[in-house]
Amino acid sequence: MAGWSEKVLDIDLNTQTYKTYPLDMEMARLFVGGRGLGARLLWDMVGPEVDPLSPENVLIFTNGPLTGTGYQTSNRFSVSTKSPLTGTVLDANSGGFWGMQFKKAGYDVMIIRGKSEKPVWIEIKYGVITFHDASELWGMRVFDLTKKLEQNNNKRNVLCIGPAGENLSRIASIMNDRERALARGGPGAVMGSKNLKAIVVEGKDRPVIHDPERFKFLLYETRKLLAASPLTSQALPEFGTVVLMNIMNNIGALATRNHQQTQFEGAEAISGEELTEKYLVKNASCWACPIGCTRMSKTGKVEGEGPEFESTWAFGAQCGIDDLPAIIEANSLCNDLGLDTISVGSTIACAMELSEKGYMDSDLRFGRSDQLAPTIEAIAYRRDVGSDLADGSLRLATKYGHSELSMSAKGLEFPAYDPRGMQGQGLLYATSNRGGCHMRGNMVGPEVLGLPKMIDRFQVQGKSSFVILHQNVSAAIDSLVLCKFTNMGVADEYFARVLSTVTGIQYDTGELTRVGERVWNLERLYNLREGFSRTDDTLPPRLLNEAPTDGPSQGWVVQLEPMLKEYYRGRGWDENGVPRPQKLEELKLADLLVRN
Amino acid sequence: MVDKRIYEMFREIGRDLYSANMISSHGGNMSIRLGDRVVIKRRGAMLGNLKEHDLIETRLDKNDSGVALASTELLVHRTVYMNTPALAIVHCHPRTAIAFSLSRDELVPIDNEASYLLKKIPVVTEEFASGTPEMAKKVANALKNYKIIMLRGHGSFATGQTLDEAFHWSSTLEESCQIELAAKLINEPFIEYRKMSESYNKF
Amino acid sequence: MPTVKLYANLRKLAGTKELSTTGATVGAVLNELVKWNPALRDVVLENGGLRPHIVITLNGHNITDLGTPVMEQDIIAIFPPIAGG
Repeated sequence: MAGWSEKVLDIDLNTQTYKTYPLDMEMARLFVGGRGLGARLLWDMVGPEVDPLSPENVLIFTNGPLTGTGYQTSNRFSVSTKSPLTGTVLDANSGGFWGMQFKKAGYDVMIIRGKSEKPVWIEIKYGVITFHDASELWGMRVFDLTKKLEQNNNKRNVLCIGPAGENLSRIASIMNDRERALARGGPGAVMGSKNLKAIVVEGKDRPVIHDPERFKFLLYETRKLLAASPLTSQALPEFGTVVLMNIMNNIGALATRNHQQTQFEGAEAISGEELTEKYLVKNASCWACPIGCTRMSKTGKVEGEGPEFESTWAFGAQCGIDDLPAIIEANSLCNDLGLDTISVGSTIACAMELSEKGYMDSDLRFGRSDQLAPTIEAIAYRRDVGSDLADGSLRLATKYGHSELSMSAKGLEFPAYDPRGMQGQGLLYATSNRGGCHMRGNMVGPEVLGLPKMIDRFQVQGKSSFVILHQNVSAAIDSLVLCKFTNMGVADEYFARVLSTVTGIQYDTGELTRVGERVWNLERLYNLREGFSRTDDTLPPRLLNEAPTDGPSQGWVVQLEPMLKEYYRGRGWDENGVPRPQKLEELKLADLLVRN
Repeated sequence: MVDKRIYEMFREIGRDLYSANMISSHGGNMSIRLGDRVVIKRRGAMLGNLKEHDLIETRLDKNDSGVALASTELLVHRTVYMNTPALAIVHCHPRTAIAFSLSRDELVPIDNEASYLLKKIPVVTEEFASGTPEMAKKVANALKNYKIIMLRGHGSFATGQTLDEAFHWSSTLEESCQIELAAKLINEPFIEYRKMSESYNKF
Repeated sequence: MPTVKLYANLRKLAGTKELSTTGATVGAVLNELVKWNPALRDVVLENGGLRPHIVITLNGHNITDLGTPVMEQDIIAIFPPIAGG
């Protein structure tokens, strides 16, 4: 067939052996690839009895039928597992070049099971799979390791964990191509618990495209659309994602000092404009991407990729810090140690509030930019205060008797958007299957940027319809696997057509959205099976009860109850948030219930 | 009770449709989806001059009392919502587009804006072009893959996340058809200015 | 006089981050702005209205109606089409 490689690589670390077998194409039709396929396989492999850091958990790396075809941003890939941070279903996706090479290696899926007795790294080179002893490499930081394993963007790509993953920090990331990250939910800890240090890929296969003529046409149209959209052709390449800092602050939706305020007086100092003016060397892009939103920054101490908006916010406004060089250095440090910048920044902020209020005995204080680097190091090595912070803000805050001060949902720390300034975002955070996350249906498009059209960010009635649609579309894009920034210039009707053109299977726009809805419901079933329920679809009391006292969002709290009610009904779920049998029939998920 | 902001949006777009000559006094229809409910124009109301009581809220999947007051086209709207990701529907009667739909099975724009945004507008046809389940299904099916379609002789159906998005497609379509009509009057050889335009009808 | 704050590439075009300008409505303020900074005109305005995806906030609240009245202490922020994650 076209698009998919139709092969699965199944690795057993217990015995350091592997087997390959055909991909279930019926499953592939329904779930496509990436996040969708990963979730479906995870459903079969990892049940509620499995501890995420035990050998029985799995890591499922997936790409999609579009990966490696050369369609714009067809470089992304995904990892699925049960999250050690939240206990929910987890997928994380990343850009760069590794995904493209993984596809060239000739597989759609790579499953990693069990645990190696001793540290190991895996090399996949032109179909030959080799297990190498990683005892000498264990302890190495990401930058050095990536270099040592001979990273070459277009030919040989390194995916690895740093010390944070080795030390099973539940906010550890998996890094690829040096500074790209599979960041959220602690996948780095899962990899560390398996004693797996790195996976290096080199491949030669090229995906087959069913209709090359039509593909060329869609490629051309997409190029035209991305060039015409000022967002993808000017804003992102020039200022990067940090361009959002000033606008979020201006409208009073920039979480500050652990969500105590919704505006940060230092926003300008850590804005995209400031970054471009003072610390940007140039922009860069992932494979097959014309947008080029990646920042290459330089300060007196570091030079490298980033920072992104969320990272800048997490160490910036959230910690009350306006020292941009210190933030850039903190971001670089997280990349080198293999840590999720959002969770780290927000956990430090939580610790700052706990300490300032006297609930926790530490000298962490808001505004102390000098504390960032040492605290991040401490987290990666579980030293001193790091031993408290290494497992995220919820465990930290709970330990000191104030779990309500963890700004998270289902244990995953929120990103920058304070939902008291964006009602839809609040509903998104509360219902996201992997926890408090913005990438699962970001409402910044319609609620702030007017994409595709502006909607009232404070309106509650009808808001759930948008959240549901954006969640479904995001899930579909995550299953293709493409970068969501393409969607800023190109409507999803193009993605449906590209998918059909590449695979030869007819997907219309509605069917593609349906894939997303199917994935969403499957993830929901997974979490329900794990024991999550309606009571977990919630937000911290601060966001539900404490309104900002000034700024444009003054007086607003998240009106979760009415939105959630409307949301469950809109999704075809019952009043407890459980998908109704009719909905599961419709989505062809009914047979999964047999095991439930 | 429908939020005032929703009413204002309906009223503005309705007025714009009427002043753009895309509906007659009482023709056309608009709706939005609110979770598992639909807000639609009351039967007999004037889109160009909507009052608050002209908006009816009713269930998406089956009848409730709201249905007594809702537009006769409620079935189409519901069917579209049940079968596509649409959150808003604008149905209007763009004159030139309707004229072209009488002789073509698809409209492929020649102007820049519509080539860019729409590429191709399918024309579907149904004997009873109003209010029947067959017509509703046909329209909904076509809208699964295109954001705006024509029902031959009747009018356009456009979907979007918001009413103004659906209105955008409708307005662009009519503009495109008027340009094509003018080109036909001018009747001079067409100088192709777009690359790969021969593929538009395969969109 | 109300304050106008500019962001992203608008700063380079206008040569400044912030300025004060007269105007009783948002539309009037914008007209004054482009009069003194012609480089901004084509970026911000189109056919007498806002170009698509330009975001204008008045004291942090999104504005689409250019007839919205403006007070002395008000802050108008103008963002060119921007995006992020």
